[in-house]
Amino acid sequence: MLKPKIRVAIIGTGHIGTDLCARMLLDDSFDVRAFAGRRDDSPGLAMLKGKVPHLISNGIEGLLEVVDEIDGVFDATSAFDHKAHWLELSSRGKWMIDLTPSQIGSPLVPELLGKNLDMQISPDVVANYSMVTCGGQSSAPLVYAIAAHSSGISEVEVSSSIAALSAGPATRRNIDQYVQSTENLVQLISGCEKVKSILVLNPAEPPVMMRTTVQMKVEKCDLEKIRETAREIVEQIKQYVPGYDLVVEPYLNEANIVSATVKVTGAGYVLPEYAGNLDIINAAAVQTAKIHAQRFLPDSVEVTR
Amino acid sequence: MSLLYDVTLRDGNHALRHNLTAEFVADYCAIADASGVWAIEVGHGNGLGASSFLVGKSAHSDFELLSAARGNLGKAKLAVHSIPGFATIKKDLKPALEEGVEVFRVATHVTEASVAEKHIEFLANESAIVHGVLMMSHMIDINGLVEQARLMKKFGASAVILMDSAGYFVPRDVKERVDALKNALEIEVGFHAHNNLGVAVTNATTAVEAGAMIIDGASMGLGAGAGNAQLENIVAVSSRQGYQLSPIADFLEMSRLVEASYPQFLPSTTSSSIQSGLAGVFSGYAPQVKLLSMEMGIEVSILWVEMAKRKLVAGQESMIREIAQDLMNL
Repeated sequence: MLKPKIRVAIIGTGHIGTDLCARMLLDDSFDVRAFAGRRDDSPGLAMLKGKVPHLISNGIEGLLEVVDEIDGVFDATSAFDHKAHWLELSSRGKWMIDLTPSQIGSPLVPELLGKNLDMQISPDVVANYSMVTCGGQSSAPLVYAIAAHSSGISEVEVSSSIAALSAGPATRRNIDQYVQSTENLVQLISGCEKVKSILVLNPAEPPVMMRTTVQMKVEKCDLEKIRETAREIVEQIKQYVPGYDLVVEPYLNEANIVSATVKVTGAGYVLPEYAGNLDIINAAAVQTAKIHAQRFLPDSVEVTR
Repeated sequence: MSLLYDVTLRDGNHALRHNLTAEFVADYCAIADASGVWAIEVGHGNGLGASSFLVGKSAHSDFELLSAARGNLGKAKLAVHSIPGFATIKKDLKPALEEGVEVFRVATHVTEASVAEKHIEFLANESAIVHGVLMMSHMIDINGLVEQARLMKKFGASAVILMDSAGYFVPRDVKERVDALKNALEIEVGFHAHNNLGVAVTNATTAVEAGAMIIDGASMGLGAGAGNAQLENIVAVSSRQGYQLSPIADFLEMSRLVEASYPQFLPSTTSSSIQSGLAGVFSGYAPQVKLLSMEMGIEVSILWVEMAKRKLVAGQESMIREIAQDLMNL
């Protein structure tokens, strides 16, 4: 007997939405039913013509017409639009994975499920998960690893540099929203009030790979254990983000600051390799959908964890 | 005539490893206020909200320093440098407005002006004086530079400031760029020099002669890397050139105060700064490069060249360690 698949739709046909759609078309766990944008001439829609049953160019209105075929929706539009989409879709019993920085839903870093108590899969099928930001997804595992074996954490900082080409107009216009949502996630995971997030765009050619550095001021820490946990968690994340590498192992400096750096090379479905920032958030979104759906469609997906 | 813009208390904070004190800010402003400088920029070397493990912690918060300056300024305007991605509107720009800051310089890497849109719009709506700053301005051709400046103007900046953050330009480069911007756009142009190649003052006076309206300088050149154009020298040269920008007396006193207060931190053009200038790497990385070359036993020049190859922009301090590690493993 064929396993039932997770029936999904993607709204937003920019780079992120198109990559998500292409990625799930190659994944047996999903039945991609609809891909919805707001323009007839969207390059994303053109690219996936003939591959998705419903290609929609009138946004949420069009999507609602086929909503009965869908279990859940990925939103890759904007924080502003996500509010409206969530109202429409939650009232129709759909779960959503939010790739905008709206912060409506609960933040989720899939690898921290069962590790951090604030990271939970909803008991209700109608759920909204926020993927936060690329800086959040890439830094959270390191923040967790350091916090797990440290005491007296007084300050946490995460800084990411990304290829300028991978930062679309929405990220640029809303850079403050990026900073704020990343800081909120880091606060949640570290339990530390004093947090700072920094984003640097690098225009070098050929484009640079994304790098995220975590720096945490601690009173005491067990560096060996931090390294062990960091290596483990990086290996686990590699299962769904193959290009996630620990390039500077956790080290402690004379000011009692523990630092570590990861590099994220994109898997390159539709997005280029340098767009590791977009790759990690899409991979996290897919992983979250699988874990959520598994709970409600027990016979469906196999989640690689 | 061009306006003098004093960055001693901001870019100079790079040279002081961000240890500038409120007392010094107050003392300096007490003299500088009446010197004839148009504005005095105060804060962390990388600007508002930049105090961080990544680029260095300030010993005193932006607001302690701004408040110390505010108390002693009546004529000169109080100014800040601010980089989106470090600073945000809510946490940094709004409180700075409340603190009485009059001039805001919203800065991005020279190719990334679009990131400044919301910050410049916000400040322009609040009726602050807003300049758009293009950092590392040697890393783009002249047409590209004009396009990025056009964006800054569109967002609402009243001036665009070219920063030669790596100290790479020679006078010819400065003249070509100021000319191009003045021909293409109705916007005031400013220029900010670094002295890696020993021509910061000449570059600054070249900018004046090409019609730049705002000229940056620092007393004793106190600034990142090899330092900025020495403010008192700009004033001295301007009088010899026959367009005196300001009387010199107060500038000499400001210079003496810096010299006496921070003798061990005065920047100079060194073999390392010449290498970084020729390589076109951000001057502010000098302390990290020095530390890492000692820690790992790498030649400073090899590090600078590799950093240039990887086209680091400002704010990527953590990448220097990775580069040093890679070099050691080769």
